[in-house]
Amino acid sequence: MQRSLKHIRLLATLLIALVLGLGSASTALAVQPGGITDEAHEMHDLFLIMLYFSIALFVIIASVLVYALIRYRRKNDELPKQVHGSNRIEILWTGIPIIIVIVLFTLSLITLASVEKKAEQNALTIEVTGFQYQWKFVYDLNDLGEGEFAEDGYITIIGTPANEPELVLPVDEVVEFNLKSTDVIHSFYVRDFLYKLDLIPGRINQFSVTPRETGVFRAQCAELCGVNHSLMRFTVRIVEREEFDIWIRETVKHLQQDQDNKKTVRVNEGKK
Amino acid sequence: MDWLTTVDHKKLGILYLWFTLFFFAVGGILAILVRTQLAVGENTFLANDAYNQIFTMHASAMLFLFIIPIWAGFGNYFVPLQIGALDMAFPRINALSFWMLPPAGLLMFAGFLVDGGAAAGGWTAYSPLSRQAGMGMDLWIMAVLLLGMSSTIGAANFLVTMFRMRAPGMTMFRMPIFTWTMLVTALLQLLATPVLAAALAMLFIDRNYGGAFFDPNGGGNVVLWQNVFWFYSHPAVYIMILPGMGIISEILPVFSRKPLFGYKAFVFATMGIGALGFSVWAHHMFTTGAVLLPFFGIMTFMIGVPTGVKIFNWLGTLWGGSISFKAPMLFALGFVSMFLIGGLNGTFSAAVPVDFALHDTYFVVAHIHYVLFGGSVFAVFAGMYYWFPKIWGRKLDERLGQLHFVFMFIGFNLAFFPMHLLGLDGMPRRIATYANESGWEPLNILSTVGAYIIAIGMIPFIINLVLAFRRPPDQPNDPWEGNTLEWATTSPPPVHNFDSIPPVKSERPLFDARQENTNMENH
Amino acid sequence: MTAGTTTHQKESMSNGMLGFILFLASEVMFFGGLFAAYFIARADSPSWPPTELLSAQQIADGVKLELEVVLTAISTGILILSSVTVQWAVFQIQRGNQKGLLWGLFISIVLGAIFLVMQMYDYTQLHFRADDTVFGTTFYTLTGFHGAHVLGGVIIMTLILGRSLAGHFTAEHHEAVEAASMYWHFVDIVWIALFATLYLIPA
Repeated sequence: MQRSLKHIRLLATLLIALVLGLGSASTALAVQPGGITDEAHEMHDLFLIMLYFSIALFVIIASVLVYALIRYRRKNDELPKQVHGSNRIEILWTGIPIIIVIVLFTLSLITLASVEKKAEQNALTIEVTGFQYQWKFVYDLNDLGEGEFAEDGYITIIGTPANEPELVLPVDEVVEFNLKSTDVIHSFYVRDFLYKLDLIPGRINQFSVTPRETGVFRAQCAELCGVNHSLMRFTVRIVEREEFDIWIRETVKHLQQDQDNKKTVRVNEGKK
Repeated sequence: MDWLTTVDHKKLGILYLWFTLFFFAVGGILAILVRTQLAVGENTFLANDAYNQIFTMHASAMLFLFIIPIWAGFGNYFVPLQIGALDMAFPRINALSFWMLPPAGLLMFAGFLVDGGAAAGGWTAYSPLSRQAGMGMDLWIMAVLLLGMSSTIGAANFLVTMFRMRAPGMTMFRMPIFTWTMLVTALLQLLATPVLAAALAMLFIDRNYGGAFFDPNGGGNVVLWQNVFWFYSHPAVYIMILPGMGIISEILPVFSRKPLFGYKAFVFATMGIGALGFSVWAHHMFTTGAVLLPFFGIMTFMIGVPTGVKIFNWLGTLWGGSISFKAPMLFALGFVSMFLIGGLNGTFSAAVPVDFALHDTYFVVAHIHYVLFGGSVFAVFAGMYYWFPKIWGRKLDERLGQLHFVFMFIGFNLAFFPMHLLGLDGMPRRIATYANESGWEPLNILSTVGAYIIAIGMIPFIINLVLAFRRPPDQPNDPWEGNTLEWATTSPPPVHNFDSIPPVKSERPLFDARQENTNMENH
Repeated sequence: MTAGTTTHQKESMSNGMLGFILFLASEVMFFGGLFAAYFIARADSPSWPPTELLSAQQIADGVKLELEVVLTAISTGILILSSVTVQWAVFQIQRGNQKGLLWGLFISIVLGAIFLVMQMYDYTQLHFRADDTVFGTTFYTLTGFHGAHVLGGVIIMTLILGRSLAGHFTAEHHEAVEAASMYWHFVDIVWIALFATLYLIPA
């Protein structure tokens, strides 16, 4: 009778821990967006693996902890068995974590290689410049990806404190970003890309993604850049290719010669 | 006054404790200000500039003026006692180490009084932002340089003390585990802190002499700052936790009435963490595009292994024990559970592609606080309740201690668990305010409530201190049935520490001595 | 006990010496950080010295990113010589030779001071400052901190000379002299590394 009571207690502890663990897992899952790009989907999958691993480990260790605290609480003045350790156990619980760690690292390496693949030559390329405290997006009309545009020129979108800029992208096409900064370090962070990359003076950082969902998505600077860092926000609007072409055509109607003798249209768009 | 000129390690230890607890309070108040501002979206409680200064000084105070020096405080008091020594190897240098701290604290906070305010670029002071900042930044640089020097010479002092002044019979592998963690910590301090000094010197030169270390226009490299800074600051986080782990490893055996499970493994795990700690710095820089990602990814994963070994050994200590839940033990158990979470959420960032999403979001803020607060701060209080009777001859009241623990445990989790979710939802770090439409307000309110609960939980602790000092000292040598030599002398110890030292035949000389006495009584 | 035979073997170093060696380790790390910055700046640069980074204004002002190798080679030789003389001083006191100790220290101090003076003179002859590209910044930072350590070493040796004159040291007890000479060797080794890195390798 005593033994089965002990087993029941252990079981109960494990069950409670499991429930708590699943509860937190589902909360986390409910909150973490799954990502809207091919790359994000892969990174999200890796995130889920890490999540399940962490929850499992937490449940196991917390259960053992709680169980031990209940089962081995002090009942009398007798000294318990003075166990100093066990070499075998040490090897076990060093070796197994090493293996787990190697597996997790390998998975993350595979995901990394996939995420870091470079875009092809004719991909839509956008130059992103961060400055205190807004963004500038430049589309080179010669570089518009699948839809061609028979004109030379640039579309420049600059954000202002009153107007957060909107970055328009076509869905289902690779887009490459070149990131630059003119003053301090900023970070280009689109939550639904599950990705960010820094804008560093003296360096051009590059990444590419293929968005798979249309919609409007939040984005904001993710590296402290000064007093108005929290206001350095923008949005990403992903549309079907036809709509993207229409947007380009409409915008390009206003192409003018600017002071560098380039054909540019400057757009001050955005929310707020 | 004697306290100003003392070179006695016990008095200096007490000075360290008062100094660091004062800055813990200062850092805590700054945290409450931060949390008040972030409770609601688009809050105007703090202007953006003020907010940036406040969170920068919150972190700087907590890290440089509280958690790093408080281990020097506990270490100063207890390392000589634990190894059966008369004092530290160099008592006057010991005093110098301490007295460098008050000017450093003053310098750093004087920033609030100068034009442009205090340093506001985060405790990480990334260039070029830190090149732009006003004089508060220069004061910050000088303060941290002073603190670094204090740390480095203190480290040499600790190392010589531990290598050279142990009681007869105390081989290295019979040293108490807290002393071992202080040893590895001292090595890290000795070797890593000078690199920070070099970084700070370079930043000062860039800011004040037109230097181009970090200026691409002059051929410098912006990311160089991050590399040199983190080369120190990553080992620094182990400086911030290892002694805490040592304290927990003293308390768990005493309150389980059995030895630390796997003492030697624990020592090697500590050394492993120390060594590996030098190889992972660029995992703070995964999104710079300038880092060899696979190398730092694997090393960061690897450091989880010795950390896990420690957690398992703590469980092994509890297993089969005879556990009592006095205040020191409550905080120790809080440490184990909270540090577990902090270690696990750290593995997410070790997986490089996952870090791309999580870096610079509140997920990382959750991680930092689970290991630094759930970990180190709980260890600080565990040490306070455990060693208070030895230092001041009175015990802290048990019920007030339990109240303190409950408030802190609940408040802490309420404050910081939601941050995991906020980070996953895309809330970046270091933002003075957020849009109402972001949907981040509910979790932020929860977090702020948690912060206030932590603050309220300090009240029973302060009352406990006041009441304790009002009581007469009445504690015996060994109120907890401890294992190590500090319990073999009076509470508090005499100036010369010991009238006699029991023979040292294992890492638990006092336990062995008690067993001897029991055996002798029974025959 | 005959002078100079048994002072070294079984006797491990004192606490003070151990502490001093640990302190030296931290100094190595400090210079390591500065050297790392230099190497990274060089690796990043398409050319070294990075003359293409000079602005028109700087060129007009006569900025030239050039170093004076000959003068510095001579001062390097002097510094190396001073290491030899201070080590000789150590050997002398190990044998109980007080006069040798005094002379060795004195000559080392003088040579060290000459090195410092030559360095300062070199500074006045250069055509660039710390704000003239990262070349200037790294040069003055590295040599400047080194110079500060040389000055520290000269002061230390002077203090030791003072104590020697007061008769503090014997064949059995002269640890402070050994520590001072170790510090001086450290300063010398850092200089050799600096000279090789800043002057010889670019050439």
